[in-house]
Amino acid sequence: MNRLRCILPGLLLLTISVTGHAALQIVTTTQDLAALAEAIGGEFIKVQRLTPGTRDPHFAATKPSMIRKVFRADLLLVIGADMEIGWLPALLQSARNARVQPGNAGYLDLSNAVPMLGKRSGTVSRAMGDVHAKGNPHYWLDPRNGVHMAQAIATRLGELDPEHAADYGRRFITFERTLNDKLPGWRAALAHLESKPVIAYHTSFIYLANAFGFRIVDEIEPKPGIAPSASSLSLLLAHIKAENIGLLIMEPYYERRSARYLNEQTGIRVAVLPQSVGAQTGINNYFDLFDAIVTTFNDAKDN
Amino acid sequence: MDHPHFRITAAIAVMGLFALNSGAAIGSEETDTLQRQLTEVQQHLRYMQQTYQQQIDALKDRIGALEIHSDQTVSQSSALPTPAATSADNGGLRIGLSGQFAGGGSSIGNDALENLQAGAHDPNQNGFTVQNVELSIGATVDPYFDAQANIIFQIDTDGETVVELEEAFFTTRSLPWGLQVKGGQYFTEFGRLNKQHPHSWSFVDQPVVLSRFFGGDGLRSQGARLSWLTPTDWYSELIVGIQNAKGETVTSFLNAPGEDIGDHRLIDRDARDFGDLLYSARWLNGFDLSDTVSMNLGISGLRGPNASGNSTDTDIVGADWYLKWQPAYSQRGFPFVSWHTEVLRRRYEAGDPGDPTQETLEDWGLFTQALWGFKPGWVAGLRWEYAAADGDTAADPLRDTRKRFSPNLTWYPTEYSKLRLQYDRDWIEHSPERTADTLWLQVEFSLGSHTAHEF
Repeated sequence: MNRLRCILPGLLLLTISVTGHAALQIVTTTQDLAALAEAIGGEFIKVQRLTPGTRDPHFAATKPSMIRKVFRADLLLVIGADMEIGWLPALLQSARNARVQPGNAGYLDLSNAVPMLGKRSGTVSRAMGDVHAKGNPHYWLDPRNGVHMAQAIATRLGELDPEHAADYGRRFITFERTLNDKLPGWRAALAHLESKPVIAYHTSFIYLANAFGFRIVDEIEPKPGIAPSASSLSLLLAHIKAENIGLLIMEPYYERRSARYLNEQTGIRVAVLPQSVGAQTGINNYFDLFDAIVTTFNDAKDN
Repeated sequence: MDHPHFRITAAIAVMGLFALNSGAAIGSEETDTLQRQLTEVQQHLRYMQQTYQQQIDALKDRIGALEIHSDQTVSQSSALPTPAATSADNGGLRIGLSGQFAGGGSSIGNDALENLQAGAHDPNQNGFTVQNVELSIGATVDPYFDAQANIIFQIDTDGETVVELEEAFFTTRSLPWGLQVKGGQYFTEFGRLNKQHPHSWSFVDQPVVLSRFFGGDGLRSQGARLSWLTPTDWYSELIVGIQNAKGETVTSFLNAPGEDIGDHRLIDRDARDFGDLLYSARWLNGFDLSDTVSMNLGISGLRGPNASGNSTDTDIVGADWYLKWQPAYSQRGFPFVSWHTEVLRRRYEAGDPGDPTQETLEDWGLFTQALWGFKPGWVAGLRWEYAAADGDTAADPLRDTRKRFSPNLTWYPTEYSKLRLQYDRDWIEHSPERTADTLWLQVEFSLGSHTAHEF
């Protein structure tokens, strides 16, 4: 009994000291959010992503290991705007972690931190395909939005961990400065795209187009999320010829056959753009992402 | 000729020359000085600029930190549960309607076909079947509860519309230590498939062994269950539940009186004490074998009274596994390969002690199904089933030896619709035909809220 009396408070102390020094557990739905969180949180946080940058975050394969991660999370970062609607609600219910339920401090929807494009008012019908009424959720592809997202993350980390709030603030300033230093270089390297018409596979590059001044005039998908058919491709072919469109951009995870066909028929150049951190090896942070996008664009130009 | 004027003039001229010369000398000295001074000023300016930049940066840092602190005070209230924000983020009330319709034809007649297709949502007649129309309504109640109700509509073989409250339950959101309580009318968590609704099925019909043990509607009843996400490094969930054992959706237990199992007529038996309720337990584990392969392993058990006597019990145990592969690059979740298997065994005490016909009925069965999503929207499936029982059961459609082999092909135009073609090859002990060949075409739509699929 005496021994028990010694052990119990000892165990309690141990638990407290362990939890006291534990880094904040951050879980993100995508690898882009993980990269931003790492840039802001540094050694004070531990970041785990639910989907890798190689996969389409619309269609995550929910795995039991995800429940485990969300269950332990102090903060869940999501893209929002219905990006994760197909899998996150069920995951949140299974994970039974009150801290990270929507509305609580441990849930941060980054779509609230950026100016959203492509919002739909009025009737949204599924006959339009996979249209997101809350706006196009691919907003991380505008580097200026990266700053808004990083700031929102820094703010929330500061709330959850006031002891290191100043550190998060400093890292955010460094992040913002680095991005502002790099942005003119990226813009200069992509100046040749200025107001050029471009075809995209899916409606996922409108923020990138907005940031670098090119125009997306059509998509391979006849409607968002609807696979192209022979007739939709022949319509697109006519459009490419009529407007003399020279460039097609798409994510690495889409089928390449349609793009190859259009290339054979019209000579349109195809740039398979990494759309996320981790989409290709060597893209380890948010700056790498735009470096790689710029390189891919310019490789497509030189070919 | 000595003109002083001239001399002065000359002197002035000479001086002027000197002055000019010395003026040039003085000019170059001054330029040097000026240049030196300019360089110094430039250096000083650069230094000042650096200093100021440093000061500005330091100030920006402090402002940044302050902004974060001030934001903190402003949004501190967000740490409290805010029901309004919660429901807005969840899209408020989630309402969905899904429907499955099938048409098909078999080598055997309708009466025999009904015995083969024992699931309540199975297509079971030559011609067309409305398999299931399901209205699903759910929402977050408040920071503490989620709730959901599923109401199903069917048209039976006589053309009558049947409405059923399939499920209506709440789950807790905020219990500590990884606990979650579910209560109400709900599908018992036994194995993987029992709690899946027909629109989540990968085949047109319910596996034979589940129809036999759990009835056409699956095992569901009123009660409550406690689930615990254990603090292990891998995903491990323990579920224990207690539900009413009576009713036609609790086949194998206090099922509808008047029906038979083996040679035993079921009696009307009510719950008299805690021993007359249905107890369930499940232990589910999940692992990521690699970045592209994940596996679930589960075992489940049930114990409850059965209606063949006043003190008779039934035990059912089962094991299930699910394996899924999806490559690093995938479009709309394709390609993928999955393999799902469940094995079940039932021990049924038939007849009270002292009853001359008293016996223990032993049944078992399994189904194993593989899916291959070979291109976006296209899935090829293959299912093999076996069910059997001890003793002479050859004439009993629910206990004979039964084998079924079912290849199918499903096309999903979008996540909200599908078309499925399935062939069933049956080997049947109880039927004089011995085998049956059936072809089904199934169409499904879903409206409203995205149906979030569990792993």
